[in-house]
Amino acid sequence: MLALVPLLALTNVFGQRPETTKQTAAAASISLYAPSAVRGGDLFEARFHITAHRELKNAILILGPGWLEGMSLNTVAPSPSTQTSTNGNLTLVLGDVPAGHAYLLFLQFQVLPTNVGHRAQTVDLNDGSTHLLSIHHEITVFP
Amino acid sequence: MDLAIRALVLYIVVFLVTRAVGRRELGTLAPFDLILLIVVGDAIQQGLTQDDYSVTGALIVLGTFASLQVITSYASFKVDRLRPVLEGEPIILIEDGKLIDRNLRRERLTAEEVAEEARQQQIASLEDVRWAVLETSGKISFIPKSS
Repeated sequence: MLALVPLLALTNVFGQRPETTKQTAAAASISLYAPSAVRGGDLFEARFHITAHRELKNAILILGPGWLEGMSLNTVAPSPSTQTSTNGNLTLVLGDVPAGHAYLLFLQFQVLPTNVGHRAQTVDLNDGSTHLLSIHHEITVFP
Repeated sequence: MDLAIRALVLYIVVFLVTRAVGRRELGTLAPFDLILLIVVGDAIQQGLTQDDYSVTGALIVLGTFASLQVITSYASFKVDRLRPVLEGEPIILIEDGKLIDRNLRRERLTAEEVAEEARQQQIASLEDVRWAVLETSGKISFIPKSS
């Protein structure tokens, strides 16, 4: 019984080992490298790797509110040209991504200690007003 | 996952440090030793939990330490050869009233310190001692010649 909690922890039940989620469309592909379980106070990173299969004239990454609910967003690197809110989502305007090029975006977070629960962390990639693809990621915050 | 691994590494480090420091220092905590112990505990805690404020994190660390402690004590109980490594062995400091210098040097003990311990146990002279043994707990046991 004593060893049960550490054994579960070693199998990443309580976080915070990141995992990769990938989606591909004709115009672009995106892979997200982020943990799906964390604990209060944890520092963690979400890495978005966007590969343009054709030129994206105005790549826009749209993150659902679950990314920021009860989280402190410490860093966004590189800084997007514009950050706005669209229907409650965080919209990051990344700009032009030439065909065959990759765009790496790093977001570093800290979980607020009072944040507990399970949240959807949706990711949408647009080229201007054209929706290209989505990733549905979920995160569990342990108390 | 990383919490359990950090707890395992620090358990081994603390074990090695306590064995290297010597049982006498740990058996008798002077004010300086006590403060140093608290500072060391604080330094270890920072490396262990880092920014984790969660109850889950505390349970992982406690569970890891408790499991390691049970495994260590069970190994010491079951395997005779491991016992001296894990728990140490009693060291004889006095035999028939004569100090064993080699063992005193090994534990960085002076004759005056042994005599002080003896006086605290109502033994006036080390010559009255048949056996003085530094136990694995860091305490010195005295067996007088008269017993």
